[in-house]
Amino acid sequence: MSYIVATEQLSKRYGSRTVVDSLNLRIPAGCVYGFLGPNGSGKSTTMKMLLSLVRPSSGEVQVMGQPMNRGTRRRLLGHIGSLIESPPGYGHLTGRENIRLVQRLLDLRDEQIDQAVRTVRMQDQLDKKVRDYSLGMKQRLGIAMALARQPRLLILDEPTNGLDPAGIEEIRDLLRRLSDGGVTVMVSSHLLGEIDKTATVLGILSGGRLIFQGTRDELFAASTPDVLIDTPHPEYANTQLKGMVASRLDHGAVRVSGIGDQTTARVVAHLVGAGVDIYGVRRDEQSLEDVFMDLTGGGGL
Amino acid sequence: MANEFAKMRHLRMGLIASVMVVIVTGLSVAGAATSPAFAVPSGRSWEALLGGMSLAVPLASPLLLAVLASRQVDIEHQGNGWLLSQTSGVTPGGLCRIKLLAVGIVVAVVTILESVLVLVAGLLLGVPDRVPAGLWAGYTASVLVANLVVLALHVLLSARIDNQLVGLGIGVLGTIVAVFATALPPAMAHLTPWGYYALVAAAGYQGTQLVALTPAYGSIAALGAVAAVLFVIVTGRFDRREA
Repeated sequence: MSYIVATEQLSKRYGSRTVVDSLNLRIPAGCVYGFLGPNGSGKSTTMKMLLSLVRPSSGEVQVMGQPMNRGTRRRLLGHIGSLIESPPGYGHLTGRENIRLVQRLLDLRDEQIDQAVRTVRMQDQLDKKVRDYSLGMKQRLGIAMALARQPRLLILDEPTNGLDPAGIEEIRDLLRRLSDGGVTVMVSSHLLGEIDKTATVLGILSGGRLIFQGTRDELFAASTPDVLIDTPHPEYANTQLKGMVASRLDHGAVRVSGIGDQTTARVVAHLVGAGVDIYGVRRDEQSLEDVFMDLTGGGGL
Repeated sequence: MANEFAKMRHLRMGLIASVMVVIVTGLSVAGAATSPAFAVPSGRSWEALLGGMSLAVPLASPLLLAVLASRQVDIEHQGNGWLLSQTSGVTPGGLCRIKLLAVGIVVAVVTILESVLVLVAGLLLGVPDRVPAGLWAGYTASVLVANLVVLALHVLLSARIDNQLVGLGIGVLGTIVAVFATALPPAMAHLTPWGYYALVAAAGYQGTQLVALTPAYGSIAALGAVAAVLFVIVTGRFDRREA
C-alpha cells in the first residue's frame, strides 16, 4: 500500500513534557483519515509537525515519499492544503480579495481559484467582507484557500468545531466529494461521531500515543465486547465469579469485561459447577463510540 | 509585495499617510511663514522652513509610524495570517520583511512628499534666497532613514506582541523622546531611535539666532546599518519560531 504520509517514531517534547510520543502514522493515499483523540491528546501538534510548522524533537516525517523539513517544506507545501486552528481570513477584506491573496501567494490560475470556490459553494458569498461571515462560511472560505492549490493532501484540524449540525453535514459531504476526487484528507476531531461516517481509516491518539490505527472494522475487532450472562440468580453468580474475572451486575444479568472465548467457556463451566442455572450467554453490542471510549479511557469526551 | 498593498485596502493607510503629510507640511510652513523675517532677503527663510520641519517631523512621525505598522501587522494576528503564510511557504520573519518593504515604500513617499511640499511652499511664498538643495536633500534622506528605523522597530513590536496598545504606547513615548531630544546631550540622543530626529535637525536656534545645522550624517548612517542588521537577525529568529 502506498502511504502519502508516514512518520517514524515521531515525538515532540516541551521540556520534560512529552506531547507526542513515538508516533508511527500511516496514511494511505486517497483515503479520508480520521485523526481522533480527546482535547490535548497531541493532534494539532502532530498536524503541525506534518506541515513542518513545529520541529519534531525526534523522529521523521515523510510526505509524498520525501522527508518534510525546512529544506523541502516550501516545495511540499505547494501540494498540501491545510486548515490549522481557526480558519484564516482577513476580516477587513472581502472573500474574493482574500482568495486573490492566496492566488498571488502561490501564483495560481483563475480556473484553480474558481474551482476551489465552487467546491465549497461560496461563489455567491465572495463580495461580502469576511468579518460579516458566519463561522461556517469562514471555515468554507478557509477550505477554499487550502483547496485552491489543488492539493494532493488536505490537512484539516477540527474543521467542524463550532459548526451547527447542518454545517457539520456540509463539511462531511465536502470531505466525501474531495476524497472521491482523489484528494487524501486528514481530518482531526475530538468527537468520533463527527467523522466516523466519513473516515475510511482511523487513527486514535491518547496522551500523545497512537493507540489505534486502522479501518473501522479493525477498530471493532481491536476491542473485546463484554460478555452478558443471563441467569435467574445473578447476585449468587456474581459472588461466584469474584476473584476470577471482572464482573458486575447489570439489569438482571452478570456483565463480565475483557474476557476471550476460552475464558468465557471456563466462566460458564465454573458457574454450572457451582449450581447456577444459565439461560443465556452473549456478547454485548458495542457502538463505535463505546470502543473509542474504551480505548481512550473516556478521556474527556 | 503586491499582497501587502492589497491588504492595505480598507485599512485607511492612505488616510494616515495623508495626515502625516498634512501635519508636517502644515506645521512647518505655518511656523515659518508667521515669522517676521520670512520671505525677506537674507531673512533665513529656508532655515525657518527647515527648522519648522525639524520640529514637525519628530512631533508627527513616531506615533503615526506606530499606527501604520500596527494596522499592517495586526491583521495577521486577527486573521490567522501568520499560519496562512507559513502553510504557503512564507515564514513569519519573511512576512515581516515584506511588510517593512511595503509600508516602507509608503513612508518613503510620505517623507519625500513632506519635504517637497515644504520646499514648494517656500518658493510659492516668495522666499528670495537660493534653495540650500544639498542640505535639504541630506535632511530628507536622514529623516527617511530615521523613519524607516522607527517603522522597522514597530513592525517587530506589533508582530511579537499581539496587544497593539503596547506598540502604540511606545509610539507615544517615542514622540515625547523625539520632541525633547533636542534638549538632550547628543550622546543621550544616540541611545534611542527617536533621538536621531534631533540629531538630524537641519536648522535650529543657537541662543536666539536661527541657524542652519549639519545633520549628523555619520550617526544616522550608523543607525541605519545597525538597525538593518538587527532587523535581519530578529526576523531570522521569527523564522525559527514554532507555530
